[in-house]
Amino acid sequence: MQNQNKLILEVQNLETVYHGVMRVLRGMSLKVPEGGVVALLGPNGAGKTTALRSITGLLDIHEGKITKGKINFFGEDISKVSAHIRVWRGMGQVMEGRRIFPELTVSENLQSGAFGVGRKTMLDRMEAAYERFPRLKERKDQEAGYLSGGEQQMLALSRTLMSNPKLLVLDEPSLGLAPNIVSQVKELIREIHKEGVSILLVEQNAAMAMELADYVYILETGKIVRDGTPEELREDEDIQEFYLGIGGEKRTSYREVKHYRRRKRWLS
Amino acid sequence: MINFLELTTSGLALGSIYALIALGFVVIYRGSQIFNFAQGEFLTWGAFGMIALLDAGLPWELALLGTMLCTGLLGSVVERVALRPLIGRPVFVTIIVTIFIGSILHALAMVVWGSDPKGMPTPWEAMKALKIGEVSIWWNSLAAVIAGAVALGAFFIMIRYTRLGVAMRATASDQETALALGIPVGRIFGTTWFLAGAYAALAGVLLSMFPRNADMHLSFVALRAFPAVIVGGLESIGGTVVAGLLLGVLEVWAQGYVNPALGEFGQNFHTVFPYIVMIGFLIVRPYGLFGSQDVERV
Ligand SMILES: Nc1ncnc2c1ncn2[C@@H]1O[C@H](COP(=O)(O)OP(=O)(O)OP(=O)(O)O)[C@@H](O)[C@H]1O
Ligand SMILES: [Mg+2]
Repeated sequence: MQNQNKLILEVQNLETVYHGVMRVLRGMSLKVPEGGVVALLGPNGAGKTTALRSITGLLDIHEGKITKGKINFFGEDISKVSAHIRVWRGMGQVMEGRRIFPELTVSENLQSGAFGVGRKTMLDRMEAAYERFPRLKERKDQEAGYLSGGEQQMLALSRTLMSNPKLLVLDEPSLGLAPNIVSQVKELIREIHKEGVSILLVEQNAAMAMELADYVYILETGKIVRDGTPEELREDEDIQEFYLGIGGEKRTSYREVKHYRRRKRWLS
Repeated sequence: MINFLELTTSGLALGSIYALIALGFVVIYRGSQIFNFAQGEFLTWGAFGMIALLDAGLPWELALLGTMLCTGLLGSVVERVALRPLIGRPVFVTIIVTIFIGSILHALAMVVWGSDPKGMPTPWEAMKALKIGEVSIWWNSLAAVIAGAVALGAFFIMIRYTRLGVAMRATASDQETALALGIPVGRIFGTTWFLAGAYAALAGVLLSMFPRNADMHLSFVALRAFPAVIVGGLESIGGTVVAGLLLGVLEVWAQGYVNPALGEFGQNFHTVFPYIVMIGFLIVRPYGLFGSQDVERV
């Protein structure tokens, strides 16, 4: 099913290094079909953020480089295109940690997401954001640094939507948020998806990601070790225990270690 | 009292010029964490560019805009060619590069315009003064204060209310995020250098009006504006302007009152005075008048 739709994003055999020596991605491939929601899961340090940086063009800021592979966006290799131009072509992202501009006002934060967009269109999109989040409207002239974590996440998402992306790349949108806010974020992602935006989602919160996604990739030490629909992956015992934390009794660190070994086997 | 008022207005004129120069420093620094030690050369290029445009027959006002535009473009070319490729390099690398560019621009200016001082023509008589009772104020001082106020005001409106201003502040706040949102960060750097060049050119023209001349020493004045940057707090544009004005006034007061008191030894005391203020500030308030505390990390 994954391969039949037209692809909005196709990552082929990607290898990246930092500082010329530290290899992080080792031949990673993934696909996002148009209109799909794809989740990329994996433990800390697996290279998820690095994968997103490669896709969105933020590697060079981190002294990173793509050494091999291709990134096709709407069928065209964009691995040498600057980050801001990828945005103009329809790729939007919310980085890990939200990264709002704290000393800019809420409305200025929104404006900063609409560089090069006509004034009228920008104001319409701002209005749409305010309609979605009346809290942001109430605080539109306040410095964004004073917003709560949840409000900042809403602002970060709204700010990215100001460029009207076709593909939305999200890095751990639930990180550090209270459970009720997490479900709000989840609903919002659903809504954005319904409006026709394809989504690539990186999450630690595997349960949430599995609920949202129609296809899931699991990345470990720079390689995709498993992929499938959420249904397929839910069947998998290792995934159940390791990522969803279900099955088995309370996990001790010893058990984690043991499972890690077991997982290793299934990798090789 | 008369002396005091006259000194203070000349001080404000000098201070406006310092503020224009310092603003260029800060705008570039906030954009890309580069200390532009070539800033002074933009004063020289701006002043001599003005004279060249006047010689070419342009009316004074157009020549002023023309030299601001050209010097601004010179600034953005320097950024594009020499500094853009160094993004992400350590601060000392970029400092050395700007010093190097400064010497190249200085040498080129010598070749193009020679080392003789030239008078800066003004639409009004060079020595024209406004008399208010006993106090007389040079038109040239007045022009500097007004031009400074207009240029600084325009900058504040731009940075606060326009979309370019928002993009510039976003870039200053977090480069990576700005890029991730589709802001062409490189072009924003170019814009900061354009502004620094244009404002330095204006400062160069104002500074070389009577009683000074346009000469190759104009660039040193930029170094005297540097304390304004430190006192204002590297990150704070408003603070820089206030500090620039303050230092201008203090310097002229020092020249008027302290130099004579020091006798022969004090002839040039006023030129080092801003540095004394700066060092005092670095000891007492390392983050400047209005700067934020975390600038210390730099
Ligand atoms: N700028 C950098 N320079 C050098 N190494 C880096 C850099 N950024 C990340 N790394 C390394 O690359 C590896 C993968 O990091 P990455 O941030 O992509 O992981 P991640 O899967 O997003 O982890 P997390 O779940 O903690 O966010 C880690 O070992 C990390 O230390
Ligand atoms: Mg990460």
